[in-house]
Amino acid sequence: MDDMRTTAPGLQAATLKIAARGVQVHYGATHALKDVNVDILDRAVTAFIGPSGCGKSTFLRCLNRMNDTVASARVSGQILLDGEDIYDPRVDPVQLRARVGMVFQKPNPFPKSIYDNVAYGPKIHGLARGRADLDAIVEASLRKAALWTEVKDRLDAPGTGLSGGQQQRLCIARAIATGPEVLLMDEPCSALDPIATAQVEELIDELRAGFSVVIVTHSMQQAARVSQKTAFFHLGSLVEYGDTANVFTNPVDPRTEAYITGRIG
Amino acid sequence: MNTAHIVSSFDRDLETAQALVMRMGGLVEVALLDAAEALDTRDEDLAARVRAGDAAIDALEDQINTQCALLLALRGPTAGDLRTVLTVMKIAAALERAGDYAKNLAKRTAILSRMTPVAGASGSIRRLAKAVVQMLTDALDAYIRRDVKLAEDVRARDREIDQMYNSIFREFLTHMMEDPRNIGPCMHLHFIAKNIERVGDHATSVAEQVIYLVTGALPGDERPKVDSTGTGT
Repeated sequence: MDDMRTTAPGLQAATLKIAARGVQVHYGATHALKDVNVDILDRAVTAFIGPSGCGKSTFLRCLNRMNDTVASARVSGQILLDGEDIYDPRVDPVQLRARVGMVFQKPNPFPKSIYDNVAYGPKIHGLARGRADLDAIVEASLRKAALWTEVKDRLDAPGTGLSGGQQQRLCIARAIATGPEVLLMDEPCSALDPIATAQVEELIDELRAGFSVVIVTHSMQQAARVSQKTAFFHLGSLVEYGDTANVFTNPVDPRTEAYITGRIG
Repeated sequence: MNTAHIVSSFDRDLETAQALVMRMGGLVEVALLDAAEALDTRDEDLAARVRAGDAAIDALEDQINTQCALLLALRGPTAGDLRTVLTVMKIAAALERAGDYAKNLAKRTAILSRMTPVAGASGSIRRLAKAVVQMLTDALDAYIRRDVKLAEDVRARDREIDQMYNSIFREFLTHMMEDPRNIGPCMHLHFIAKNIERVGDHATSVAEQVIYLVTGALPGDERPKVDSTGTGT
């Protein structure tokens, strides 16, 4: 790992979390993702970058079978989570999504209290034995999402009453409340102001101590700031995948260079 | 990377930085050649002009640093663009040092022209200066053309400069042993030769920046150093 940032510990201890092998996605007649092979590490942040329509969000949504909800989508190839194929017919997508959580572009808290937003997942997955247990999960999740001190005195207030940045951190708390191993983030900061963005980025950096984080972002500077690994997608193909420090200083593929330096859109 | 940026003002900013460093290189080349000529022909007016000209070289370095700071702050350059900015700054620093050596040469010329000439010495120094300026010219050409081969050639030539310097060093030793009255001028002449040899090192570092710019990595192998003066300088 060539990352010289003294604040960012290297990836020596990182192990393989998700392995994608020959992943293809078709939406009807459209070939959206072409033969993607990638190894996503545990306890690391992996960023997917690329122009609109390049397939990065499509690939992200393959990782917790969100594409199952799109009628025209056909996924082939293998995606192994800890060595097990998540597209195996015996895998329950609902259980899978408890292990592979997701945070979306626009903060989308449930129209419920802050407490209930976080408690919802653990409740339906039966992860809490009684109220005290549930209280502990809610507090731990809000603490991990760096939101606890801001909301601990108003847990009964509606989640939708929070600021945009707080709502997004609430959604992150909701995603980690089910104890996932992987956290998928689809442009989690694009609706936030720079301060809220910085807070979420700081949170992402803290989360990687316990999760494998995969983030799709249109901001290349954000990818450079938060990730240890970067994957560049273009026209449905994975063009380049490597250490973030290398991708942004000395990319191998000319298409990557052209994109990150602002030459192709 | 030949294709233009989507934001064309980004291209103009990068081109401005590179044009400034080329203009600086031109001034340094002329300063070195003029200084060596002034020494050889004992032309104090020319030496004075070289000394006065150093301010313009320093001002260009300031301008380049400001331009590069703006590029970093406002454009957030990455990959090849980032390496362009970094190498422009390093090359400007190397050229600024080379300009200082030309100025120093001109200062010593004023002193030396009042001393008894040492036979053949200023001619040898002028040849050394010409060879070094050619290295610098080629290194800057290699930069503009992104020519790694030419840059490698410049690096290899530094060895010849070291050898020329070593033989000048021995020449001066002989003069000083023959006649103690040569010691004063030969000390000055030796500093001049050493400084020109250092300009060769700066030309080499410009060439290394070309290699870094194109390949993303500095050449790793240590170049063989030739120092047979026995002084470890």
